[in-house]
Amino acid sequence: MDMLLAILIGLPMTILVTVLALLIGSVLALPLVAGLRSHNRFVWLLCRGLVDLLRGIPPVVWLFILYYGISVGVIRLTSLQAGVLGLGLVAAAYLAEIYRGALTAVHAGQWEASSALGLDRATIWARIIAPQAWRAAIPAYTTFAIGLLKDSSIASTIGVAEIVFMSNHYARQSGGSITVYFVAAAVYIVLSVPLGMLSRKIDIRMRKTVTR
Amino acid sequence: MNTFFEDFATFAPALVGGLRISLLLTGASLLFGLPIGLIFAFGVTAKNKILRFVSVFFVEVGRGAPALVLLQLMYYGLPNANITLSSLASACLALTWTTAAYSGELIRGGLQAVPEGEIEGSEALGMSRADTMRFVIIPQGMRIALPSLMGFAVLLFQTTSLAYSVAVPELMSQAYSTGSSTFKYLTVFIAAGLLYAAISIPATWLSVWLEKSMSKHL
Amino acid sequence: MTLQPVTVTKPVVEVRHLAKAYSDTVVLRDVCLSIPAGTVTAMIGPSGAGKSTLLRCLNLLEQPDSGEIVIDGHRLTAGERVNPKDLAALRRSAGMVFQHFNLFPHLTVLRNVSLPQERVLKKSRAEANAKSMELLTRMGLADKADQYPSRCSGGQQQRIAIARALALDPRVMLFDEPTSSLDPEVGVEVLEVMKELAAEGMTMIVVTHEMAFAANVADELVVMADGGIIESGPPRQILQDPQHERTRRFLRAVLDR
Repeated sequence: MDMLLAILIGLPMTILVTVLALLIGSVLALPLVAGLRSHNRFVWLLCRGLVDLLRGIPPVVWLFILYYGISVGVIRLTSLQAGVLGLGLVAAAYLAEIYRGALTAVHAGQWEASSALGLDRATIWARIIAPQAWRAAIPAYTTFAIGLLKDSSIASTIGVAEIVFMSNHYARQSGGSITVYFVAAAVYIVLSVPLGMLSRKIDIRMRKTVTR
Repeated sequence: MNTFFEDFATFAPALVGGLRISLLLTGASLLFGLPIGLIFAFGVTAKNKILRFVSVFFVEVGRGAPALVLLQLMYYGLPNANITLSSLASACLALTWTTAAYSGELIRGGLQAVPEGEIEGSEALGMSRADTMRFVIIPQGMRIALPSLMGFAVLLFQTTSLAYSVAVPELMSQAYSTGSSTFKYLTVFIAAGLLYAAISIPATWLSVWLEKSMSKHL
Repeated sequence: MTLQPVTVTKPVVEVRHLAKAYSDTVVLRDVCLSIPAGTVTAMIGPSGAGKSTLLRCLNLLEQPDSGEIVIDGHRLTAGERVNPKDLAALRRSAGMVFQHFNLFPHLTVLRNVSLPQERVLKKSRAEANAKSMELLTRMGLADKADQYPSRCSGGQQQRIAIARALALDPRVMLFDEPTSSLDPEVGVEVLEVMKELAAEGMTMIVVTHEMAFAANVADELVVMADGGIIESGPPRQILQDPQHERTRRFLRAVLDR
């Protein structure tokens, strides 16, 4: 019980890092996906390169670059800032790809039909394309969010006091045990179960309203 | 900028040596993990209760727990159960578990995606269940799963960067020790990042290309 | 045992009191059918009538709830466990052609036709390939042998599927709307092959919407609606003078378009 409590002290931090990184990622992914769909070769190349680079380098390397690497003058990130920013940037790249896939999943006929009806671009985006794309993106989006929850553990490597950090701390203090790692694993699994259930629930509801 | 390249050249031997260990760890985890994943793919829906329970346990924990936790479990946790492995062996064991869990689900997804009509076609011809499995479902299911398995392999390669936390002398750990002895953290981590990118970006392109060319063929 | 009267053409397929339901929906009710050797039976009727289900029950792609099926001496009673050997034997004597061809996309055309012969009839690869090439040549598809199915047109794919089924020397061929997913022009290629087969004396059961084929090639026309057979007999007689109101309605719908 002591052990579980010691680990759960890290829970708020795990949730905070996950939620903030997801927020940053979800927002930054929007300009990225616009760039990935751009007809301007330069813009496209820039965004494509950025997405590939963000995804091609492991998150822990980004965190180390931000935390240990950037210490010029006054700019010095705290471990939490570096962790959230690093995971958020990587998330933006993955989410941009998820958005892009969802937009391609909306049938081209929807654009044609909306234009033929004389709807303007903004209306087509807001009322026709975005709702359908969002519906298509939800399964991948929630899968990614669950993955991000687990990846938030990487922030422990730069000293963010989340679940894995606290587990290690406890293991060292108590003279080591194998159980603490299993309990930590169980906490992550228990956390991802309701997320998965929520995802299925939204998916079913959306399926009813936006049937294809 | 010049100093960046000069530093890069100085760091290169240590970093490339670390990269080789990262690749070795990736290869070994795939080598052991994929066959176990194939067993799990069938195990999670098996009629045999013990096989099903074991498969579901390893798949759910392997996918549900962060790789970092599994790495530390094997390296710091196992010695308390009187099993002491070298850092490389424990990292390999942890990532084999991850590989088996993820690939098991990916392979199962591939097998399930084989169109019902082709299975019926095989059955209508009087082919036995085992033959249908061997000649129709497994070859096609593996083909369908291949691009996502490749995508997973790229992620696995990136995940090996966490093995530095259990003292495996791979790329990240070489970068860290170089950084702490030269204090050129920024340069050395960017260099390490570029080495990771140099492998994972082309590998991702390959898996995307594979997926596209296969969807044309099938 | 009752003494069977001596007949010239013994039935190849016998269906007795076949019934099937999915939870509340009855899809087949008390269907009886007897198909003499060497005849072509066309089954027509509105969609949802149970034609495809009946055909799929014949080689046990679907399990009937009750009734009995005899194909070429292999007897199957609904509800009884079928051992794999009997099932394989039954499926070998009934070749099936699907609406969507169901070829194996990862195998070449030749392998598609040869693999079942090797696995089911235990032929050597050389024997199987020889038989496959003979059939493909007959279908005018010898040059496609080394291609993958996806490189062939729909009509070609369906003829490959017919060759694949014929390669097992079935006693009866079951066609489940073989031309429904094809363009009319392409469907003609497939219908030509089917006519040839009929002329050679192959026993055939064809679920179809091709009324011309039903009228000109079939020996027997079976009209199904709501899970049962409502009328059967010589095609010309039924088409010209349907006895049942439901048949009349269906024929008006298909012929008056």
